[in-house]
Amino acid sequence: MLHKLPPLLFAAFFFMPITVNAEGPVTGVSHVWIREAPPGVQELAGYFTLENFSNRPLAVVGITSPDFNSVMMYRKPQHSNRGEMEPVTTLNIPPHKSVVFAPGGSHLMLIKPRKRFFDGDLVTLTLRFSDHSSLTIMAPVRRDNPQH
Amino acid sequence: MRTGRILLFIVAAVVAILVGLGIGYWTFGHPRAAPKTTALLLRPPKPLPAFSLVDDRGTPFTKASLGGHWNLLYFGYTHCTDVCPTTLADLNQMAGELEDLPAAEQPHVYFISLDPKRDTPALLKRYVQYFNPAFTAVTGTVTDLRALTAPLGVAFSYDPPDQSGNYAVDHSSVIFLINPESEEAAIYTPPMIFGRMAADYRAIIKYYGKR
Repeated sequence: MLHKLPPLLFAAFFFMPITVNAEGPVTGVSHVWIREAPPGVQELAGYFTLENFSNRPLAVVGITSPDFNSVMMYRKPQHSNRGEMEPVTTLNIPPHKSVVFAPGGSHLMLIKPRKRFFDGDLVTLTLRFSDHSSLTIMAPVRRDNPQH
Repeated sequence: MRTGRILLFIVAAVVAILVGLGIGYWTFGHPRAAPKTTALLLRPPKPLPAFSLVDDRGTPFTKASLGGHWNLLYFGYTHCTDVCPTTLADLNQMAGELEDLPAAEQPHVYFISLDPKRDTPALLKRYVQYFNPAFTAVTGTVTDLRALTAPLGVAFSYDPPDQSGNYAVDHSSVIFLINPESEEAAIYTPPMIFGRMAADYRAIIKYYGKR
């Protein structure tokens, strides 16, 4: 499931396609990337922006990857000024709102990679939604924050 | 006529005194305005306590190790998924932006692990050098770590381990700027504003260097 990302295609992966149903677009995923891990590190951080285009509440109820043993969502507790994070089992996205996972805040934790991933590699992620739909995306691995 | 000359003399004397006071104030007593930075400046700088840790080469790391140069200290651990690698990557970027400074003004960057149970000096060396070969990692026993973290206000605690034995270390995520006298001079607090850290560093060392 591992691929190399041609540099010119990186922008395309930064603005992912969307899921649709009979009523139109439902979910959009963008700004997807995974931070390359230092040697010996078994937990990688992943980031994305999820947008709910629909008129109904939507939730991510799970994320899996064939490239990792497990994937978890983490967010900072409200009113916390320390570094603690709490796991999220259901990520709610209100209608016409978006949720941002970004460095220093909410993030994915990708645990125990099947192999070491380097800058430019692609990782497969499948998001499962509360409406029983799912979306598989290819997340590029980057050594540095591509938004800097 | 005589009254007018006296009045003129008084005015001239007052102006001369004011000019003299102004020159003296500007030359010797002008309090330099603190630079406006995203970092919090400590005025006056706060001396660090005595502490005894070990660096990634296995050599002692004490208060004296920070003397004679500027330092940036960041506390974390290698199993930290997000904020530690994010901050170390930012510190690497910051170090690159400061390469034009004289060697004596460039910061020494230290990553101090709060997880001595898993972060051995050898592992820490590989970890920190991934971000920048010039960075140094440091650790010590929990008791020895607290001798430094408590006075700095760095809180940390260990979460219960999961089924695999893995655990998270909750910790403050701030960067301390330590001056060449081993004193706490400034604190960068989150959210770190990328692109401002190097500019703030320049302003801060200039401010403290010319007080």
